[in-house]
Amino acid sequence: MTNAYQLDNIKVFYQQKCSLDLPQLSIPNQQCIALLGDNGAGKSTLLNLLAFLNRPSQGQIQLSGQAIESGLSPQQRRSIGYVNQQPFLLTGSVSSNIDLALKLQGIPSAERPSCIAKALERVNLDHLAKQTATTLSGGELKRAAIARAIAHDPAILLLDEPFSHLDQNHIQQLEAIIEQLAAQKDKTIIFSTHDRLQGAALADNTINLIKGKVTKSPLLNVFHGELSEHFFDTGNIKIHTTSQQQASHIAIDPHEIIISNGILSSSMRNQFTGRLTAISEEAGTIHLTIDCGERFYAIISPEALHELGLSIGKSVCLSFKSTAVSIF
Amino acid sequence: MSFFADSFAAAIDLITSFDQALYEVVFNSVSISLIAAVIAGALAIPAGITMALNQFIGKRLIQHILNTLMAMPTVLIGLLLYGLLSRLGPLGHLELLYTPTAIIMAEAILIFPIMMNLAIAAVTAADPRLVPTLKSLGAKSTTLTIQVAKQTRFIMLAAIITGFGRAIGEVGAAMMVGGNIEGYTRTMTTAIALETSKGEFETGLALGLLLLAIAFLINFILSCLQQQK
Repeated sequence: MTNAYQLDNIKVFYQQKCSLDLPQLSIPNQQCIALLGDNGAGKSTLLNLLAFLNRPSQGQIQLSGQAIESGLSPQQRRSIGYVNQQPFLLTGSVSSNIDLALKLQGIPSAERPSCIAKALERVNLDHLAKQTATTLSGGELKRAAIARAIAHDPAILLLDEPFSHLDQNHIQQLEAIIEQLAAQKDKTIIFSTHDRLQGAALADNTINLIKGKVTKSPLLNVFHGELSEHFFDTGNIKIHTTSQQQASHIAIDPHEIIISNGILSSSMRNQFTGRLTAISEEAGTIHLTIDCGERFYAIISPEALHELGLSIGKSVCLSFKSTAVSIF
Repeated sequence: MSFFADSFAAAIDLITSFDQALYEVVFNSVSISLIAAVIAGALAIPAGITMALNQFIGKRLIQHILNTLMAMPTVLIGLLLYGLLSRLGPLGHLELLYTPTAIIMAEAILIFPIMMNLAIAAVTAADPRLVPTLKSLGAKSTTLTIQVAKQTRFIMLAAIITGFGRAIGEVGAAMMVGGNIEGYTRTMTTAIALETSKGEFETGLALGLLLLAIAFLINFILSCLQQQK
């Protein structure tokens, strides 16, 4: 099966600075992919490239196996639905917005009313079809923009930060919509978020971006600093690594972190004592936040939480091997 | 003071008695300026939107030329057009000199850069998400221009009205290429100049007041459009 996208040697320069550097990236068809990364990591830049709204400074993008050189054909354009981080609805009603999108995609006028009704139903906005777009709330606006993007049934749906600036209720509604769309397994859905846990929970796969580069690390426990002679200095703590190569970022997989009530006698080179600042439950696992000068995230089982007798404010020890440190 | 007051009263009398000759000049002037504004708008607005949407070599130069043309004296436009349309000029065979068409051409040339600059400004000032959104929905070149014009229609209409206001107040070029022929190419401004030189101050004042009323009406419409926006 061909990939939805194949990116080769992509570089995007913004104000003479490389904001995206992707030597090679394949995005498989009919999967739900989460683009993860902090603000400025390059998520929107990548999504704009995938939507062919911007062109890379160098490199090639293939859409469904076809290299795109000058621009998209109407058929290729029709295969992509894109929703901006802050969606912009045109003047007029919600349904007139969707109608215009369908008209621009070349959908015959006789087919448009049923497409509009279907799209609005999928995002639970059928009751607001005639409402003026500018009077919608933030959550309704995002759902209306998604309806506009999926009305012509594109094979690829790109969503830039769909959950930003929304309350918990609207986030849950949007998550349900994305889950429903992904469950049909007939679309490639790529959405960006800075919430790693949310991204990992919703998506089949994740693409982790840091400073414009794809990294295999899960982007939790990411620290910035300098590496010299096996020690990575964050400015607050020194973390032992196995690498000597030049690097300014490291990440530690939260599953690789061992939590104990005291210092362990073990081969692990990194042991820090800190204060437990947060405990939360996510998908049957316990997520701990520990402040050791730097904030660490660790994932343990509910049984371990019970056995260790952990509570917020308690002093705990965290340990991990040097080999658990990813360098990039 | 009594001269001015008497003239003012006579001018009001001319306006309220619906003097046929006076209103013929007003009608002529409004129709010529309206046609010029529509023609210039039909060319300048798509040109302005296209220029604002695209990056190309020489864009800055064109912007400088447009700014220069906005400040071009109207008599110079009249002079150049006179040269082109006069019997010995390259367009002399069209026999357009001293016709309403010549005035329409002069006024359209005069207001084209103003309208184009306003169209560019409208697109530049529009929501930065407008163009990417339309592109992501599948709009391309012509459809993109049409949709941008639709979304900024109140500002575009304001540009046409501004151009109309500039055209109706124009005198230099209209005099040179129109010839101020009674009942044919006489406009409000050329009539004011003529009547004043003849000593018919009250007729000139009546036309001036009507011109002021039109200017007020234009500003009122513009203000309404601003609120609509």
